[in-house]
Amino acid sequence: MKYDVVVVGAGPAGSVTARFAAEAGAKVLVLERRQEIGVPVLCGEGVSRKIDDWKMLEGKRWVASSMDGARIYSPDGTMVKLAADMAGNETGYVIYRDIFDQELARQAAKAGAKIMMNTTAVEMLKDNDKIKGVKAKQFDEEFEVEADMVVGADGVESKIGQWGGIETKLKPKDLETCAQYTLTNVDCKDAYCDFYIGREIAPGGYVWVFPKGKDVANVGIGILASLSEAGLAKKLLDKFIANDPRLKNSEPLRFLAGAVPVANPVETVRNNLLLVGDAARHVDPITGGGITCCLEGGKIAGETIGMAVEKQQFDQETLSAYETGWREAFGKKLRRNYLVKETILDFDDKTFNMLADSLKDYKFEELSTLSLVKALVLKHPTLLMKLKPLVKISSEAQE
Amino acid sequence: MGKPKAKVDKKKCLACGGCISVCPQDAMSMCGGRAFVNEEECTSCAICIRTCPVAAISGEVY
Repeated sequence: MKYDVVVVGAGPAGSVTARFAAEAGAKVLVLERRQEIGVPVLCGEGVSRKIDDWKMLEGKRWVASSMDGARIYSPDGTMVKLAADMAGNETGYVIYRDIFDQELARQAAKAGAKIMMNTTAVEMLKDNDKIKGVKAKQFDEEFEVEADMVVGADGVESKIGQWGGIETKLKPKDLETCAQYTLTNVDCKDAYCDFYIGREIAPGGYVWVFPKGKDVANVGIGILASLSEAGLAKKLLDKFIANDPRLKNSEPLRFLAGAVPVANPVETVRNNLLLVGDAARHVDPITGGGITCCLEGGKIAGETIGMAVEKQQFDQETLSAYETGWREAFGKKLRRNYLVKETILDFDDKTFNMLADSLKDYKFEELSTLSLVKALVLKHPTLLMKLKPLVKISSEAQE
Repeated sequence: MGKPKAKVDKKKCLACGGCISVCPQDAMSMCGGRAFVNEEECTSCAICIRTCPVAAISGEVY
């Protein structure tokens, strides 16, 4: 059986791509390596309220709790509070990623996509140099899946890109290595996502506490791989939990590891090939959040595939509508935030403390670049030098 | 005696994929739900060992 498109990976990006391609009339097969979609969860589970706008999910079963806002704590404990309308862009819901992923896969299946479980793509199928599907393995059986197009939705450790001639290898400075407990018996009284920064707390990253309703919370850490040592992420997370009064009586329900690309996005299109989601490095390099890009980018990818199937043209030029689409939708933001990430990586704890001290009474509803810079610099004039690169990035982004 | 090569402790690995994404030799892959090292390709750089959030990778002389 030949398909129009084979999607490798049934995470959010793969499922959304499959859904919109199938809705546009494409014959779609999704390969999933695991035996249950969304399991094990590899995610902090905080997502933006923006996902409501796209109306891709039915019901609310995937929502664990809705957030009223976010708080950022500098190394000396100074707190900066962001109300929901400001913080909602990054932290709106804490979700159950397993249910979330299964709901997106259900939508793909409803649109007509086929899903094959326990199936790993092991090789690209090529006719001379032309991609014509993948070789797949289910338990001990290897077989060929022929398709006009391959979509790499195979996550941070993507192989599809490499096999298709797109360099996706990450430098350690472009990867956050993560660990997270889901804890019960925690004392999180309000619905705020809390973030903790500092060299000692989480080098090149942050610790998060995301309440999941009742007395449950996700407590996790991401540190930059270039600043990591073997097992450091877990060690620092255990230390944080031991020292936080809200968590001292907690017991673990779940422990997981994660890896988040915080890189510049790669080129995503070749003849007969697209990359989506983490495989395309579609992740905000500051927050490490990738779900909104998966949904928005997956839709553009699916629609592009629909158009390609209709024209029966699967060359790079036809498929470049996807590349243009996502660069327009969120590519600029990712590139800008990558530069911001690079700049704030050089900040020491003292700088973060000064920043927080300047912002702790700032009313974020009046947010404008000018008033923000004024608030920062009036209190701590030496911040001006530190922030110069950011002001440059922000003015270039507006051009 | 050769250099130590990366070895994954299958009981500790939680399949996050971080090591695979940063391996400069493309010597790692996911196999049976765990990270796996092709020791022929491993050049003992130890990037994967340092990256692992749960210390599931160590150096071992084969």
